[in-house]
Amino acid sequence: MVPCGQGMHTVRWEAGALVLPTHADAEAELVLAALGGEKAGCIELAEAWGRHVDDLSVLAIGPRGAADVINVSWDDVRQAAAAGQGGGPARRGRMRLASQLGSGSAAGRQAQQDMDHAEQRRTDLLSLLALGYGFQVRLAGQVAAAHADGPDARARPALTAAITGRLALVAEQWLGIDPGQVEVSLHAGPGWGATELTGRGEARRLRVSLPAWWLARVWACGLPLIGGHLVVAVERAGWPDARVLAVRAPGAEPVPLDVHAREAAPDGRADAGDAPHWEI
Amino acid sequence: MNREGAETFLRLLAETEIRGPSSPPLRGPWSADAPAGSTSKLMVTVAQALTAVQALDDKTAERILTDFDLAAIVRPGHPQPAPAGRASPPRPRPGALRVTIPRRYGLPPATGTTPAAPPGPGWPERFVPVGVSVPFSDEEFTGELHLLCYAHVASGAAFAMTWSIRHAAAPFDAVRAHPRTLAWRFTVTDNRGQRYDLGPSARSDPVSADLIWLRPDPPPDIRWLEFSAPGTSPVRVELVAAAGAEPEAAQARRSAGEQLLIMIAERLMADGANFPRDQRTRSRPGPASRPGPQSRPAQAVPGALGATAAGLGTIIAALEAAGVLSPLSPVPGWLATVCGGLNIGGHGITAPARRDLPEPWLNLLAYGQRRKPDTGPVHAGFAAMTVALPELDGIGLVFLGLHTSGGVTALHALARGLDPDARAGPCGVETYFPLSVWIRDGGGRWHAARPSHWHRSGPEYALQLWLVPPLPRSATWIEVLAAGRSAQVRARLTLRWGYSP
Repeated sequence: MVPCGQGMHTVRWEAGALVLPTHADAEAELVLAALGGEKAGCIELAEAWGRHVDDLSVLAIGPRGAADVINVSWDDVRQAAAAGQGGGPARRGRMRLASQLGSGSAAGRQAQQDMDHAEQRRTDLLSLLALGYGFQVRLAGQVAAAHADGPDARARPALTAAITGRLALVAEQWLGIDPGQVEVSLHAGPGWGATELTGRGEARRLRVSLPAWWLARVWACGLPLIGGHLVVAVERAGWPDARVLAVRAPGAEPVPLDVHAREAAPDGRADAGDAPHWEI
Repeated sequence: MNREGAETFLRLLAETEIRGPSSPPLRGPWSADAPAGSTSKLMVTVAQALTAVQALDDKTAERILTDFDLAAIVRPGHPQPAPAGRASPPRPRPGALRVTIPRRYGLPPATGTTPAAPPGPGWPERFVPVGVSVPFSDEEFTGELHLLCYAHVASGAAFAMTWSIRHAAAPFDAVRAHPRTLAWRFTVTDNRGQRYDLGPSARSDPVSADLIWLRPDPPPDIRWLEFSAPGTSPVRVELVAAAGAEPEAAQARRSAGEQLLIMIAERLMADGANFPRDQRTRSRPGPASRPGPQSRPAQAVPGALGATAAGLGTIIAALEAAGVLSPLSPVPGWLATVCGGLNIGGHGITAPARRDLPEPWLNLLAYGQRRKPDTGPVHAGFAAMTVALPELDGIGLVFLGLHTSGGVTALHALARGLDPDARAGPCGVETYFPLSVWIRDGGGRWHAARPSHWHRSGPEYALQLWLVPPLPRSATWIEVLAAGRSAQVRARLTLRWGYSP
């Protein structure tokens, strides 16, 4: 539910897109807003979503798993937006900086633009987080998908860290290994990659090589760990039935598994209500 | 250099810190215009290390830390930033403009010891050790102007100097704020009868700016200058060019990571020598002293050593990931030895300690371990000497004398090629001056020379380096050892001491 006008409107994510059921002609509203018309809350949110569907910061900020709770309320978003429009100390400090540089000068204009951009970005990200876990995960999936096809040197560090942070928590559940002992590299080329468990005690390491699309096709779909298996790829996508490729233990060859989705997450979290739970 | 490895390391560290922060939150944004958040001290330290060695650019580092800030803030239970009132302000940058010294004004490269390039067509730069005190006395002030060295460079002619004020009708702070109050008392005349004013290079320069300029610019070949001041007899300053020391240059091959770790080690040793051994272990967490430009550095406090050394192991791992530090480098092992010698724990260095420390390090560590709390005061005085070093890593240095007061020995230098925009380095190192400078006195004791403060004088920078430990007045000569990544230079200098009455 999104604050829009005087009420709260429902938004949905369907087939890779954010849908605004209460705004029949969202496209037209977007055009009107671009021409200076007043923006509805839902429209602002759709714009924010569009601005960040390939923003790797979403992966750095968003949840690493269902247990990684993020608390952002719509009140938080309103406060952040108000602070950005003149109330906050950071804003005042930056305005002083822009003023010192001279608002008419190129440096002053640049400082003002940077300031506006940073505030817009912060408010955007907070509003996207306020949508809750289900949307957060889907947005992360879209971002990962945007970069998954042959990621370049600018995207690889963020994708490596994003997979590491998420797989570390999955591996903790899978093997009981300390998340700090999980090392991930980006797999390039055909196939899904590799897993390997080495060492003992503090020297124990789970080394996993996975392609960037694992984030989009496996993790974001709630598939990473099913029935004690680490899912490394999706052979046949579908709902509520799908076929995945999964490994039972590190180093083992992956086996195909037919999996079935249940609607609700088992932990009962309201926020996780639209995160599917998969079973073999 | 592996920039991708550097960025990946910092991002993976962020993942670790998100799961459970290993260091307290640090309010104080990465940059002045970043939103304040709860960036971990370890994250900032590693980002500083990676940007200092240029494995990570400022914008990328800023984006990673800003994202981390937001990621920490939106997670309940993650440490939140301290109240703004307790925040340490961002370190002021040393100056606002990056200055590129025209090559024709640059000092000779490290491969030779040829004289400095001429500051103007047809005449060379001139550096003459002076060592003369000019007394003055009137109703307002009584004291001496100590002239250490005459320097005639592209931007004009100046004396490296220091003041002794024995009586002042006005508070000395007022004098510092208005240096012309002292300078206008002097009348300066050259051997041709030309008169000059004395003054700082700009009105805003503090009197402690260490250089006082002659206006108008004198001709290059003046033989002497006569200083007259109220209440005293004129004092003649001979400007006969003395045979300067011949620096010996040698090649060095330090990686960027090694140089950074060496600077960190030298800071630790210098801070460690500043307070007695038995106080180091009673450390309380506190910010490392971080002298800013145009300011006196805060005295190192017990506890600062531990705070300075925190995260060293992670810094080393980051430098290795960035490909700027070989796993075979001896420097991490040296750093482990330094931490052990200073009784610093919690540094996280996994390399085994090594015994083959550089001689100056061993000497300074031994000094710190011998030193007793009741060590006597060091007598005030000043010494004239000068040497122009070949350029090291793009930085030209001319030493212009030294003086001791208040138990501190300051080495005066004229520097070129500093990077005033350099961001603060990790563990409090001054990245705008990425050189290692040591002084060995005639008694064989080594003194670390660390940048204290600087100010800009035309295209040059007047720089003070503070010696740890201070130089005794009994030293009749010193050997300067300055080292960068690509070369090191040695020069032996005779000291001509003068004393305040």
